[in-house]
Amino acid sequence: MKLWYSFSKELILSSKSWYFYIELGMALVLLVILLFIVPEDFDSKGKEYLYLDLPQVVQERYMKNLLEEDMNGFADQVELGADNQTYKAMLYETKESKIYLLESKQALDAISNSERVPVVHMRVNENKQIVYTYYLQGYETRKLQNLLLVYHNRLAGHDVIEDYSDNIEVRRLYEDSEPLNDKENMIPVFLTFNGSLMSLFIIAAYIFLDKNEGIIKAYAITASSVWHYLLSKIGVIIVTSIMTSLIITLPIMGNQPNYPAMILFLVTSGFFAASLGLLLTSYFKDIVEAFGAMYIVIVIMIMPNISYFTPSWDPDWVKIIPSYVMLQSFKDIISVGGNMTYVMVASLAFSMLGLAIFILANYRFKKTLSL
Amino acid sequence: MIKVKNLYHSYNNDENYAVNDVNFEIEKGEIFGFLGPSGAGKSTTQNILVGLLQLQKGEVEVAGYDVKHIKDKMFNKIGMSFEQSNVYSKMSGIENLEFYRKLFDVKTRDPKELIKLVGLDGKENIKAGNYSKGMKHRLTFARSMINNPELWFLDEPTTGLDPSIAANIKDIIKQENEKGATVFLTTHNMYIADELCNRVAFIVDGKIRLIDSPKALKLKYGEKLVEMEYFKDGELIKDHFSTVIESEKARIIEVIKNYDIQTMHTKEATLEEIFIKVTGRGLV
Repeated sequence: MKLWYSFSKELILSSKSWYFYIELGMALVLLVILLFIVPEDFDSKGKEYLYLDLPQVVQERYMKNLLEEDMNGFADQVELGADNQTYKAMLYETKESKIYLLESKQALDAISNSERVPVVHMRVNENKQIVYTYYLQGYETRKLQNLLLVYHNRLAGHDVIEDYSDNIEVRRLYEDSEPLNDKENMIPVFLTFNGSLMSLFIIAAYIFLDKNEGIIKAYAITASSVWHYLLSKIGVIIVTSIMTSLIITLPIMGNQPNYPAMILFLVTSGFFAASLGLLLTSYFKDIVEAFGAMYIVIVIMIMPNISYFTPSWDPDWVKIIPSYVMLQSFKDIISVGGNMTYVMVASLAFSMLGLAIFILANYRFKKTLSL
Repeated sequence: MIKVKNLYHSYNNDENYAVNDVNFEIEKGEIFGFLGPSGAGKSTTQNILVGLLQLQKGEVEVAGYDVKHIKDKMFNKIGMSFEQSNVYSKMSGIENLEFYRKLFDVKTRDPKELIKLVGLDGKENIKAGNYSKGMKHRLTFARSMINNPELWFLDEPTTGLDPSIAANIKDIIKQENEKGATVFLTTHNMYIADELCNRVAFIVDGKIRLIDSPKALKLKYGEKLVEMEYFKDGELIKDHFSTVIESEKARIIEVIKNYDIQTMHTKEATLEEIFIKVTGRGLV
């Protein structure tokens, strides 16, 4: 009962504080960004700029080959701006890339200068051989340069390379779940950082505010336990986190996510993060003193984001950072056919870890009440 | 009500003790003054007694509970008024008291009655954050009474209050004591201690120098004096004379006979003077 009184009091108090409205406001800002700024699919296709300085017959043959790969089956006449000039080009859009065929070497140079992208000049030499001249920008990796050398060196066995590349097996890692579009793919990031991890910082702010007012000391001289006080704070933060997460998720995802799993995971991961925040604050007198430690935590927690958006960079040590598990779990929760076993195991792990840290934080708080 | 035996406390867990071998006992119904200058170890001792600081070394029993293994139930019997006001600034005075009363398992007092008792009636619905320093202090004081404490810890209860409110607070302390509350009063104000306490302890550098009643201390350490102001050859003279030493008694009679007396007071030693005499230290 005392826990309920403390919780309802904390809820009333937080509704009177700025932090509460900042959190809700931030959720709305993120929602607006997702709705109106982030597209459903980022234009991730590579752009290639070519000038075919070739005999008409070869040119037509090359263009015919391109048309066969074009998604529409026809080339678009487009205009490209570069160096304050406009140049005409034909655009072929394949599944992997957008290929612009320029009409002059001057246009090729202008695009290379203004866009800072590699461009290709194809011509026929005196031995009637096609020569590819790549104008690189200097930032290309050695690997790419070697790949181009190998690709155009027939002695290296062009046929072997082509045969090898045609037979590469592409496997989807998540066989059972439908992939998310780019907009939906952003949601786990927002849920992780605005939902779960913000708990860590918000609870620190609440606690330092109370420490400053001496509230914890007053609470300690009552027949209610300090853990009631701490848990009621965590409760309020979890409620806020559920509210902000729903603000972001509902309008974008509709009824696609597994909401019971989402709420369960927000509770467990929020409990873990808030307990960690409590433990952290128990070592410091005020937020200024705690800032260094908090900064380190922020940097560590951000790292899995890199892995999330760059799947090729996924070292084992990143996987043990809690935000990595949170990102993956939220992704599964909002995906059709997501791996709920992973989410449940992660929830259980966060609950147990959170409980252990909470017990430690409670012990620390009791020990440092007079600070 | 309180038993303290060989109490030590070091903030750095070394031999540099903030509280050094402190021993005392407080009987039920007593007002016990814990007096000393800033940094003497008063607050450290009090914080150990109420569990805000962990007991490191020694034996402490408070309201029948061993402080080494504090139980939440112990706080049903305890009230504490802090020197620094610590109320929820975003809640009104009455909301603060209403909330705290729910945290006890015993019959609590009516918050409105307490608000009235400390002179905050009419201001109970204002947010505590908008209270003056004195009002916050009175609210903190009122909160410490919410559970009808058997043992009442008061840390500088009249500091920063104007004289009329301070007098009101002193009256409340007396009334509660008459009703049976045991009071542990921590202060460096010797006048309030003199007025309220049955016994006082002088603590300096973490050690208790003496424990006795103010009356006994005055008898033991005080000098019986008469302080006089009189005109002599047109000049105002201030002087004091012992009422025990024969030669000084004769001089009192001489002054009364021969000069124009302006003021004349018998003067007892104050607790502050005795404190300085005993400890060799001031109270600041």
